[in-house]
Amino acid sequence: MMKLTDLQNKLQNEFQIAESKSELVEKFLDLGLPNKKSEAYRYANMDKLFDQEFETLEYNAKELAYSDKILIVNGEVISMPKGIRVYYANTDEQNINLEHYDPLYFLGHLLSKKSIIIEIDGDSEVDILHRITKASTLIHYRIVIKTQVNKHASIYEHFEFDNAHESLLLYGYDVDVQKDSTLTFVKNQHSDEDAPTIIASHDIKVEKQASLTLQSFDFGNAPALQLFNIVLEEHAHVDMGQLLYLWGNVKRGTISKIIHRGESSHSVQEAKNILEGSARGIFDAIIKVEHSAKYTKTQQNSKTILLGEATYMVAKPQLEIYIDELEASHGSTIGQLDIEQLFYLRSRGITEVEARKLLIVAFANKLIGTIRDKRQEELINQNFEKAFYAQNQKTNLL
Amino acid sequence: MLTIKNLHANIGDNKILQGLDLTLEAGKVHVIMGPNGAGKSTLSKAIVGHYDVEVTEGSIDYKGKDIVKLPAEERALEGIFMSFQNPTEIPGVNNAYFLRTALNAKLKHEGKEELNAAEFLRVMREKLSSLEMKTDMLSRSLNEGFSGGEKKRNEILQMLILKPDVIILDEIDSGLDIDALKAVAEGINSMQDGKRTFLVITHYRRLLDYLTPDYIHVLKNGKILKTAGVELVDKLEEEGYDWIKAE
Ligand SMILES: Nc1ncnc2c1ncn2[C@@H]1O[C@H](COP(=O)(O)OP(=O)(O)OP(=O)(O)O)[C@@H](O)[C@H]1O
Ligand SMILES: [Mg+2]
Repeated sequence: MMKLTDLQNKLQNEFQIAESKSELVEKFLDLGLPNKKSEAYRYANMDKLFDQEFETLEYNAKELAYSDKILIVNGEVISMPKGIRVYYANTDEQNINLEHYDPLYFLGHLLSKKSIIIEIDGDSEVDILHRITKASTLIHYRIVIKTQVNKHASIYEHFEFDNAHESLLLYGYDVDVQKDSTLTFVKNQHSDEDAPTIIASHDIKVEKQASLTLQSFDFGNAPALQLFNIVLEEHAHVDMGQLLYLWGNVKRGTISKIIHRGESSHSVQEAKNILEGSARGIFDAIIKVEHSAKYTKTQQNSKTILLGEATYMVAKPQLEIYIDELEASHGSTIGQLDIEQLFYLRSRGITEVEARKLLIVAFANKLIGTIRDKRQEELINQNFEKAFYAQNQKTNLL
Repeated sequence: MLTIKNLHANIGDNKILQGLDLTLEAGKVHVIMGPNGAGKSTLSKAIVGHYDVEVTEGSIDYKGKDIVKLPAEERALEGIFMSFQNPTEIPGVNNAYFLRTALNAKLKHEGKEELNAAEFLRVMREKLSSLEMKTDMLSRSLNEGFSGGEKKRNEILQMLILKPDVIILDEIDSGLDIDALKAVAEGINSMQDGKRTFLVITHYRRLLDYLTPDYIHVLKNGKILKTAGVELVDKLEEEGYDWIKAE
C-alpha cells in the first residue's frame, strides 16, 4: 500500500541527508504534490487523491508477444506489432525535461525507473491500447517515443477500463519529434464509472521544421487531466485539437504550455467543450513566445456549449509574449445550443433528442471531421454516440 | 381540415392575436394579407408550435384534436409544414443529411420503409432540377451562406419531399427573382391534389397570379377582419388596409 503524501515526505527526508542530490527529486520537491496553491493545478483540485491509499504493482519486463497493436496492461507491455521496436530502458535523467512545470511529470519519472521505449521506423502507424483492470491501485509508467528524421508516423491511442475504479493512472509520453519529420497523435478516450482517475503528463519537443498534430477526444464522467509541455524549435509546427465531452459530476480537461523557442514557429490550438449534467471542464492553456522566437504565428481558441444547468467551464487561453514580431490571436466563447436552430429542425419532424444531436455533432465535427484516418474517425464517432446517449434517451414517437 | 377558434396569442408581453377565427378547408388555397406587424407570422408560428408564441386562449383543431399543446415535431409528423419567413442558418449540419433525416422521420412515422442514401439521392435529383437548384446545395451546410432566394427554394424543396397536408408559406415570394417565383409557384401547384390545404402569406399579387387562391383573408388588429374572393387583392393593392374595419 502507498500514499503519495507519505512518499513525498520520505523523499524529503532522504533528500536532506543525501550526499549526491538528484535534480529530479529536487525538482519534484520544489514543486511539491499539487494543492490549491499550485500554479498548474489551480483549477483542478486533486488533493484527495494524494491522501488515498493505493495498492502498488511490481513491474516485470516480459517476453513480448506479437499482435496488431502495442498492448499495455496495468503498466506492463504485453505485445507489439512486427516492425516496431518496444523495450524497457532505464530512465536517463539527461532526458528528463527539468523545465517542465508539472510536479506529477517528475513524480511519474521518479516512480518509473524504467521507461517503455517505442521506436517507430520509417513511415508507419501504430495503435497503442492502455488497458487497466485493477481497482484501488496506483499504475504508473512513462513512454518514450522515438521517430526518425524526415519520416511520418501516426500513433492512435485507445483505452479500456475494466473494474478500475478508485485507481490512479499516472502516465505520459516523452517525445522528440525529429527534424523534418511529422507525427500525428490521436487520443480516443472514453472513461466512466469503471475507469481510474487519469493524469497524463507529456513532454514534447518539436525539432526544426518538424510538424506535430495532436488530437484528443475525451469523453466521460470520470476525472482526468492531460498536461502538455511542448517546445517548438525553428519553423516547427504544432496543431492541437481537443474535444471534451463530459457529463455527470466530473472535473476534467487540459492544462498545456506551448513554448515558441525557435523563429517562425507556428502553433494552432483549438478546444471544443461540451458539458452536460454538472460537469466542469478545464482548458488552461498558455502560449509562451520567447525572445528567440521571432515571426511566430499562434492561434488559440476555446469554444464551449453548456447543456446542463450546473455545468461550468474554466477556459483560460493565455498569451505570454516577449517579442513584437508575431501574429497572435486567441479567444474563448461559452454558449448554449441555439434555440432557433433546434426549432427549425424540430419543425421538420426531427425529435428534440435527434435535433440536439445534429447540433452537437455539428459543433464537434469541426474536430472529428479533421481526422484523416477513417477507421479512427469511426471509433471516435462510436464514443461520441455512447457519450450522447448516456445523457439523452433515444425517443421513439408513436 | 384545420379550425382555429378564438385564438389569443402573445409574444412576450405583447398580445398579438386577440380572438382570431379561421377555418382552412381541404383542397383550398387560403391567402392571408395584412399590414406589417399585424401578426401573420405569429399566426403561422402558433400553428406550428414555435416557442416564441404563447397561446393563452382558444383552440387549433386538426385531425380531430386540439394541437395547441402538441410539440412542434409531432405537429410536423402529423403533416403541418411552415416555410419560414427567415430560414435560420445551421453551420455544420449538412443539408442532404438534414433532408434525409427529416424525410426518414416522416416515413417512419407513417410506417413506411426509410430511404438509404442512394435512394434518397435519386428522389432529390429530380426535385432539385424542378426547382432549378444546383446539386451542390445538398452538400453545403443547411442554409449557411445561401442567398435569400436559395433559402426560399430550399424551403420549397423540403415541402416537396415531406409532402405535408397543411402547407403554410410565410412570404415565400419575398426576395425571389422572376424565374424563381415561377419555379416556386409551380412547386406549390404540383402539390395541389384536392386534399392538401395551403395558407399563403404575402404582401403582393405577383405570386397569387401564378396560384389559384380560393379565399383572401385580411389579418388586422389581431383578428381576421375580412374574408373574400380573389377580387379583394386588387382593392387592397389600390387602397391599402385602412378601410378595413371589423365587420
Ligand atoms: N420575438 C419577438 N419579440 C418581440 N416582439 C415580437 C417578436 N416577434 C414578433 N414580435 C412582434 O409581434 C408583432 C407581430 O409580428 P409578426 O411577425 O407576426 O407580424 P407580421 O404580420 O408577420 O408582419 P410582416 O408583414 O412584417 O412579416 C410585431 O409587432 C412584432 O414586432
Ligand atoms: Mg411576417
